Amino acid sequence: MAVTTDSVAARLVREPRRATRSRQRGRRALVGYAFIAPAVVLFLVMGLYTLVYSFGLSFAKWNGFSPSWDWVGLENYRDLLYADPRLAPEIRGAALNTGLAMVAVSFGTVLIALPLATLLNSITRLRGTLRSIFFLPYVTAGIAVYYAWRYVLEPDGAVNLALRAVGLGSLARPQGFLADPDTALPTLIVIMIWGSVPVAMLLYLAGLQAIDPAVTEAASLDGAGAVRRLRHITWPLLVPITVAIVLLGLRDTMQGFQIFLIMTNGGPAGHTDVLGLKAYQQAFFQSLSPTLGVASALGWLIFLAALLLAVVNARLLRGQR
Amino acid sequence: MRRVVPLLALTVYAAVSLYPFVWMVSGAFKDRLEILEGGHLIPRRPTLATLVDTWSRLHFFDYFLNSLQVTGFTVLGVLVVYSLAGYAFAMIDFPGRRFVFWFFVALLFVPSITVLLPLTILENKLGILGTHAGLILPFVNGTAPLAVLMLTNAFRAIPVDLHDAATADGAGEWRIFWRVYLPLARPTLVTIGVLTAVPTWNEYVLTRVSLNDESRYTLPLALERLASGTVPSYNEIMAGSLILVIPVIVLFLALQRYFVNGLSGAVKN
Repeated sequence: MAVTTDSVAARLVREPRRATRSRQRGRRALVGYAFIAPAVVLFLVMGLYTLVYSFGLSFAKWNGFSPSWDWVGLENYRDLLYADPRLAPEIRGAALNTGLAMVAVSFGTVLIALPLATLLNSITRLRGTLRSIFFLPYVTAGIAVYYAWRYVLEPDGAVNLALRAVGLGSLARPQGFLADPDTALPTLIVIMIWGSVPVAMLLYLAGLQAIDPAVTEAASLDGAGAVRRLRHITWPLLVPITVAIVLLGLRDTMQGFQIFLIMTNGGPAGHTDVLGLKAYQQAFFQSLSPTLGVASALGWLIFLAALLLAVVNARLLRGQR
Repeated sequence: MRRVVPLLALTVYAAVSLYPFVWMVSGAFKDRLEILEGGHLIPRRPTLATLVDTWSRLHFFDYFLNSLQVTGFTVLGVLVVYSLAGYAFAMIDFPGRRFVFWFFVALLFVPSITVLLPLTILENKLGILGTHAGLILPFVNGTAPLAVLMLTNAFRAIPVDLHDAATADGAGEWRIFWRVYLPLARPTLVTIGVLTAVPTWNEYVLTRVSLNDESRYTLPLALERLASGTVPSYNEIMAGSLILVIPVIVLFLALQRYFVNGLSGAVKN
């Protein structure tokens, strides 16, 4: 590129110095490598090595202590998907719960965040304060908040008492919402929606604020009613944001199992088992059974699902352009 | 009426957002007996004793210092390692640059559960399992996709004339990076710092499978041990939870601007 734009004279001047120039470029490259070296080394050790290791282990049986692995080929994957009469149904149940939570959390989040952002955009007073309050569930996401939820969801906790106080005692759960097989998973889904509304709301709010008020004004001068303005001006701008929020929700729900681990640990009786939790239990809570291979295989199945989602993501985003 | 309805609906959701926190505060100010009396919100005998007790007798002060150490070094590590890398990706031409860059970004798709087990096995071999370094290094590496993307973009957004001018003055890459580009990227650095600090402060899973030695516990782990004791008492658990969330809430309120901009930017990428 540089050569084509340079004048012939300039090229003649530079010709004798080519050796020094390539040496200079080599030195620049070395500087570049020096700058990225810490990041790359850290990645090679903490990232690539662990990935390769777990990929290898997913084709073996190992209990973490014996000196060698027993290579078993695809057996771990087969066991997880259909072959093992005890494990496969458990995994299927966990996959079902995971899928259910993924869909419910994504759509629930959109359903609450969009009206919330629209309302927030329509007021001026208190907007900043309310936005800060709405954001608290995101910054505090973690064990402390989950314990607070457990506290209010106890058998004689605040939620049950509130329901009884307003005459909805029939909705109260005497065993508590997390110990009741009918309400455990829905309750966790509600809490996950509660936790993912903040970011979704923020994205919608940014989208709404990017809409030029002049366009909306012109449309209403042309006689477009509120519904038509929503359909033809606002909604098209919000579609890409909605896609992003749904995909983010699907991804986070599939990968995150912390809330399940802390609040129910899969209980009662497997009603809140999810894939991430299963992999975690197979990896860390089977003492001396050789389940580390199965745990790795399950980790890779989750990885595969995440990649699939990413591909769909890329497709959808490209479709919009 | 048209003004009141939105405000009312928003206030209702604000209450929903605050709901568990309100009860967290309520529980933390009750004593051991009152917490068993059931779910009244305002403590009848409000007491600071539970918080004081949790802070000192249950060693939450020590765990707080541990959390501070792990989070602080993680943030520092992320900023040092990835501002260097981001600068190279943005400003220095070297063979394989695009490939390495996309490799880092692709890491975004690796679920943490996939590498959790091999990570502990590796750390066990290296002898850092159960130490704070054993937490900080993977935490830093886990931030790579986000930090590389945001910092590379930030450095690219700085006019290249500055680089050319500095080079003409005889400054090397290191000096240009340190004296010119890093100060200009400060807003992005703060954003990444906050976006790293919050999840690190709250991290539980890797910490749980790594740490054994109680003197190294971070707040989330201390809280979990408190709750899984033989006679867990919700007033202490809520006091511990409050101690855990207050620092992040303060940090968030102080640096809200960076947070909001950063999150929108991060998701767009």
